[in-house]
Amino acid sequence: MSDSASAMRSRIPVDLEVTSGSRTEVKRALLQAQTRRHFLRSLGGGLGTVFLGTLASNLVPSAKAAGSETAALDFSRDPGTPLSPLPPQFPAKARRVIYLHMAGAPSQLELFEHKPELKRLDGQDCPASFLAGKRFAFISGVPKLLGSQYPFHQAGQSGQWISDRLPHIEKQVDDICFIRSMRTDQFNHAPAQLLVQTGNPRLGYASFGSWVVYGLGTENQNLPGFIVLLSGGKTPDGGKQLWSSGFLPSVYQGVQCRSHGEPVLYLDNPQGVSRELRRNMLDTIDDINQQTYAAFGNPETVTRIAQYEMAFRMQMDATDAMDIRKEPDSVHAQYGSKPGEASFANNCLVARRLAERGVRFIQLYHWGWDSHGADAKEALNIGFNDRCREVDQPTGALLADLRSRGLLEDTLVVWGGEFGRTPMRENRGGQEMKYVGRDHNPGAFTIWLAGGGVRAGIAHGETDDMGYEIVKDPVEIRDLHATMLYLLGFDHHKLNFRFQGLEQKLTSVKPARVVAEILA
Amino acid sequence: MNVSSRIPDNSQPSSNQGRFLVRFRLGFALLAPVLVVVMLVAVFPPDGNERANWFQFIGRFHPLVVHFPIAFFLLVPILEIVGRSGRFAHLRLSVDFVLALATIGGTTAAILGWCLGRSGGYSGRLITQHMWGGVALCLVCWGCWRMGTRWRKLGAAYAMVLALGTGLVAWTGYRGGQLSLGPNHLTEQMPTGLRNLLGVKDDREASVPIADPNTFYGARIQPILSARCISCHGADKHKGNLRLDSYRASMRGGKDGPVIQAGNIQGSDLFRRITLPAGHDDFMPKGKSPLSVDQVKAIELWIGAGASDTLAVGGIKNAPPAFTAPAEVKFEEIDPAAAVKLRAAIGPAVAQLQRQFPSILEYDSRSSADLRLNASTLGSKFGDRELDAFAAVAGHIIAADFSRTAVTDHSAAAIATMKRLRVLRLIDTGVTDETLLHLGNLAELESLDVYGTQVTPAVLPMMAKLPRLAHFYAGQTRIRPGGSMPDSLSGKLVF
Repeated sequence: MSDSASAMRSRIPVDLEVTSGSRTEVKRALLQAQTRRHFLRSLGGGLGTVFLGTLASNLVPSAKAAGSETAALDFSRDPGTPLSPLPPQFPAKARRVIYLHMAGAPSQLELFEHKPELKRLDGQDCPASFLAGKRFAFISGVPKLLGSQYPFHQAGQSGQWISDRLPHIEKQVDDICFIRSMRTDQFNHAPAQLLVQTGNPRLGYASFGSWVVYGLGTENQNLPGFIVLLSGGKTPDGGKQLWSSGFLPSVYQGVQCRSHGEPVLYLDNPQGVSRELRRNMLDTIDDINQQTYAAFGNPETVTRIAQYEMAFRMQMDATDAMDIRKEPDSVHAQYGSKPGEASFANNCLVARRLAERGVRFIQLYHWGWDSHGADAKEALNIGFNDRCREVDQPTGALLADLRSRGLLEDTLVVWGGEFGRTPMRENRGGQEMKYVGRDHNPGAFTIWLAGGGVRAGIAHGETDDMGYEIVKDPVEIRDLHATMLYLLGFDHHKLNFRFQGLEQKLTSVKPARVVAEILA
Repeated sequence: MNVSSRIPDNSQPSSNQGRFLVRFRLGFALLAPVLVVVMLVAVFPPDGNERANWFQFIGRFHPLVVHFPIAFFLLVPILEIVGRSGRFAHLRLSVDFVLALATIGGTTAAILGWCLGRSGGYSGRLITQHMWGGVALCLVCWGCWRMGTRWRKLGAAYAMVLALGTGLVAWTGYRGGQLSLGPNHLTEQMPTGLRNLLGVKDDREASVPIADPNTFYGARIQPILSARCISCHGADKHKGNLRLDSYRASMRGGKDGPVIQAGNIQGSDLFRRITLPAGHDDFMPKGKSPLSVDQVKAIELWIGAGASDTLAVGGIKNAPPAFTAPAEVKFEEIDPAAAVKLRAAIGPAVAQLQRQFPSILEYDSRSSADLRLNASTLGSKFGDRELDAFAAVAGHIIAADFSRTAVTDHSAAAIATMKRLRVLRLIDTGVTDETLLHLGNLAELESLDVYGTQVTPAVLPMMAKLPRLAHFYAGQTRIRPGGSMPDSLSGKLVF
């Protein structure tokens, strides 16, 4: 295919680089490039295609013929506007999502899980029953139990337990719904992050944001529908796959924006190129792409055209949306944001600005929560404190800001990592370590949600006295996904895409349950 | 041995004259009870009243007895068909005897059945059909028997009567099964694949009018009633004249008056009966396992809270969370044809507006004709003139966002025509008190957002009158936290 494409291009005698590239020139060039051979080939091939086309309609099983009980939802759009909004399946409480992913997995036992019994047993040998049949990333031999490093208290009218590390989030606790019984089946960061973000621990699946934008489109056609913001530091272990569109058309992948400098690299016009010239250039490229699409029919060509067009529109709007210098000082004081640097605080402020502008899915990643205690940066009593400080004020400010602007009503905010941490102190190599840390625990962790139709001021699920295993109402990652999709107006079975012979969906093939208990 | 030696004896023609007389007398003697049954069913049909007496005691033997005449009668066509071959011709000699047994058994079963129907509190379509089916069957048995050997040789007519009788057995038996096991007892557990193949509708839930799943009644109570009560107190069978298949019927009660007294748990007969020990005479569901602790608790909470059908799922104060959350989420099925019909009136106007203003007007859901308008993405490019274009669909807009647009007080009247608005956002716009004072007729408005506008406390008395208003976002306006406000707004203002 690429061979014939290049062959075709080589027959075009006009050098596009040299001329100004006006549309008429390109058209003339294409006409000149057409030979009698092209005509005959398209004639014969065309007739054959027409014949095959009549057959194909009989061969391809339609959704109804395949025995599905109800008609599949139609997500098709005009190829030129792949992000145009579509109504949800049923009336939705949440119109957009702000997902705050704490890469590295923050310790629930230092933040949300109040376990006095564990505190009492601090320093004692871990019972053998905790270790039998378990795999750990680093713990070996018999570790010691480790009580919470920080004091807990009840907060808000709802009286939920929270530690003293998150004083700003604490003020919003009556808007928060804790799920204390999250569970995953992955205990390494990259696959666990992939599971949380794409519903599958392996590469190649569509991320949550991609699904949502595929299903709902986005309200603002001048901005990407799915924006990813990293707060500097380390890229999450799962890499860019975490916001990949997988098998969905690539126009639905997350667009990573920078929170300082140019929001999207190479978005601005180079020096000496005016917006008008840019427009001319894009029109010409579009024409060529349209011809390519007509010749090969690859939908990714249309994606390319749409992306160029969006980039052109974004030149104005993205720069404006990402420019937090336009916010008054009082807002910066509230968020703790400082224009010009890469930080979680800046990203939270940007997230609010994007939410206001109708961006469908805003994904933030913070980093450095992997508190093993192998060095000071990842010690529960040192680096962990810094992480708390970095996220606490902006997260609290984001919730308060969304609430006072009325946006929390239909914006679903999610905060959490990819798994939990053990109630045992990590003893890498069987030795007591210099710093205090905890190992990975996929068996139980806490994620919280706020806004967007979630019941406010409650906690769902329970773990045992050690915070080690779930004793009540376990929630799998796919259950969380099904619940979030429900809030966005979808039956998770119906938001699907046929690929490799399977109706692929975010919740994958195991049955998922909408956690009805946390719905408002 | 005894029986087999007697059958040939019986069939041996000893004295034709005497035999005929005996048979004649016996035959007409048996007609009397059959006619009695016809009379009983016709004159004293089941009336839904329960009579705890001898009748009911005897009636309970109906299911025990009824299967014998069924088997006897079904044996007749078998004997006749097999008897056509010479080797088994002797079988046909038994037909007379078997028919006599079927007639006697059938009549006995019919009398017992009437006793049960009359005293067991049955009424409705099913029981009537079942009874008349049984009566007709008795007559058919008797008729076949009385036709005598000679008539029975008239092949076609006899075969048709037998076929009719067999059909009656199946139909009456099916009705009886529906009475005791539920109206859809045969297809209830049919595997989905087979169900699709045969086109059988899954009406396990559809047979009951759907209540709003967001209400406590719809989410918690009706599922219990559907699962445990309506097989006896439903559309097809209403024992004690009580139906529990809809809210209104449940509250109407049965022959002894209402069974649910709103707010009075102990005074509600329904609650009393489901909490009796399983052996008690009045215990419900009769003959089945008691309701689970959770089910009883849910009904108790519901009656205690006023037994309303509009009370929200989470509306019961101090109830354990498990009882106030919806049990399981049910996904609405989408009927594209219904959506098209619903949208017929506004469809063209909506399509035209969607072309004119791409991406800002959308239906609320795939099956709804409600609209959401989000002009905020257009910013200052959207103003009063643009808003006028939406007049044709104004009555369908349930959420409108004009934040950061150029919309001003000139649009007040246009916004006021959006009578079904639930959410209105006017963040950072130039609108003032004037617009808000126009909104008094937005009876469904739940959320009003004027963050960052010049709105003053003068609008508060007006806002207090909006019946559904739950949130009034007044941050960065001239309204200040802590200022004086009408009582009904307390807790609704958000800053």
